[in-house]
Amino acid sequence: MARHSFWSGLVVIVIALLALNWIIPGYAGSNPFAQIPPDLVPRLASWLMLICGLCIVTGAVYDMVRQRIPLFNSNIDWPALAWASWPFAYVALATWVLVYVKITYVGPLIIALLLYLLGERRWYILVGCSIVPVAMLYVLSVYMMRVGVV
Amino acid sequence: MDFSIVGSAIGEALTLDSFIGIGGGVLLGYIIGVIPGLSRSVAIAIAIPLTFYMSPYIAISFLIGLSKGTAAGSAVSAILLNAPGEASSAATCLDGYPMAKNGRPKTALKIGLLASVLGDILATIILIFVAIPFARVALLFGPYEMAAILAFALVFIAGLSSGSLFKGLAACGLGILLGTVGLDSQTGMPRMTFGYTELMDGFPLIAVAIGTLALSEMFLQAERLRTERHNMSVKINDNPDDRLSWPEFRRTIPTIMRGTGVGTFVGALPGLGPSVASFMSYGMAKRASKTPERFGKGAPEGIAASESADNAVIPAALIPLFGLGIPGNVSAALLVGAFAIHGITVGPLLLREQPELLYSIFAGMIVASILMLILGWFGLKLFAQITRVPPHVVIPIVIFFCIAGMLLQGYGGFGLIILLAFAVLGYLMKKFDYSFVTFLVAFIITPMLELNLRQSIILSRGDPMILLERPIAVFFIVCTILALIALAVRTVKVRKPVAEAPAD
Repeated sequence: MARHSFWSGLVVIVIALLALNWIIPGYAGSNPFAQIPPDLVPRLASWLMLICGLCIVTGAVYDMVRQRIPLFNSNIDWPALAWASWPFAYVALATWVLVYVKITYVGPLIIALLLYLLGERRWYILVGCSIVPVAMLYVLSVYMMRVGVV
Repeated sequence: MDFSIVGSAIGEALTLDSFIGIGGGVLLGYIIGVIPGLSRSVAIAIAIPLTFYMSPYIAISFLIGLSKGTAAGSAVSAILLNAPGEASSAATCLDGYPMAKNGRPKTALKIGLLASVLGDILATIILIFVAIPFARVALLFGPYEMAAILAFALVFIAGLSSGSLFKGLAACGLGILLGTVGLDSQTGMPRMTFGYTELMDGFPLIAVAIGTLALSEMFLQAERLRTERHNMSVKINDNPDDRLSWPEFRRTIPTIMRGTGVGTFVGALPGLGPSVASFMSYGMAKRASKTPERFGKGAPEGIAASESADNAVIPAALIPLFGLGIPGNVSAALLVGAFAIHGITVGPLLLREQPELLYSIFAGMIVASILMLILGWFGLKLFAQITRVPPHVVIPIVIFFCIAGMLLQGYGGFGLIILLAFAVLGYLMKKFDYSFVTFLVAFIITPMLELNLRQSIILSRGDPMILLERPIAVFFIVCTILALIALAVRTVKVRKPVAEAPAD
């Protein structure tokens, strides 16, 4: 837990520093005539993140030193990591496909393939669970919202 | 109070359209609530796109009905599966599952249902009688008071809804930072849009809500499938002993009243949420009982205490929302988004500008409670069957609806990329114990916070001494500082969360 806090706190600090030194000065805009500049609230939020990140890292370092926890974990469970990662990759791939093909056309395939990958082998479940939600979406978009096929 | 408005509001709540909308919400909520792992905030996030074609009243009532339905439905899986539909029903498992295992599942489910409905109706009545005077007082507040109250609410939520105040505040900072993306309301200049015109209106709320709540939750559940796969649900048989008698139910009524009180109090405070309320109510019921040894072995009072408090939180969480425009938890924050989608600013101004809508929503909430009782009572066996649906079947369907919800709003590929990015963010926040509740609430209320902060600075011309003329603002600023100190000390000393589960 302390190691998790350390690394996540470090990420918070990096995001806050990126925001304070690059994103806000470059992209938050400025207006010398405005009574409060447009970058005031983003800047306050970034400072809040920076201070909290420092507190999290300090607390984590204290715990790690006290409990003698190493900075890096050498026992990474790679199969577990791979299992946790593939759904992200699957949705990313589906996102790429959906840029070119409408979800109503390719939806059944996306659901059925994911069901199969998650271990479902019964054909009637694969067919039913992949067609019914898409049919519901079709009714919603075409007949109820009248926005056409999405 | 204008009684003609109240009369027309009740009339609107009793139309067929209203019954279909609210009943649909309650039914959908019930089904989603029964499925373990799908919480009420996930249900609302996915369902917001379904409300685009509805009128504002039907849309909001549908979402509130959905919220109530999930709370009642989650008790079914808690009792039959020993796996709560959401964290707030975990206390129901303690007595519900042993009672079901002892051959009385129907009795346990009926006690849970009646406690849910009673807790819900009583808390809704309290909401009606508290929110309206509260909103009248809040109409007198200026930007100083509102900015101070919003800051206090954020600190309170950050401190209580995560294990560490610092992690909660870091999430709050990120929520505020991302909430400022888009056109600056004062200067009209694009802020942190990186040249993307799609970001001129800021990050789409649907993408942020569905990504951090629903899609990230599906990724977490898919990850859990590696080790946990099978559900063993208790079957409902026609056992003659499995009937709820009036004397048995009568004994639970004081517990239900106490649970409703606890749920209403906890729900009205920002950040605590239904999990705290149900466990607090369960603990109080056990302490008040003459036979506390029965608790944990199938005591009806245990189920009643947990469920009444859990359901009372939903209407109570709307007290600060309708009174001040401040969402106290994720579900209320999502309702703010739903109101905004329908062009309505929720808060005290709603009472002045659209009183018919406010009274219609209140009337619709009572209708939702009654429909919840009818659907729950007669659909008992059907909902029990839904507990047998395995999670690996649910995950692909929910992911599909997450993506479809984004496309229905017309954001296309860009919206999907943002959705995936926020899903990754939500997943990491949940994994590393950063309060996504605080993040989402901060993201949603940032425009209001910024507007009030700006108005305060402009009106005061930068002179903080003007606060001396504003005692309410000073009171909340002092409360914010005290809360910060107390929560920081608790984080450093105890390093243990007050609310173990997210306040949704």
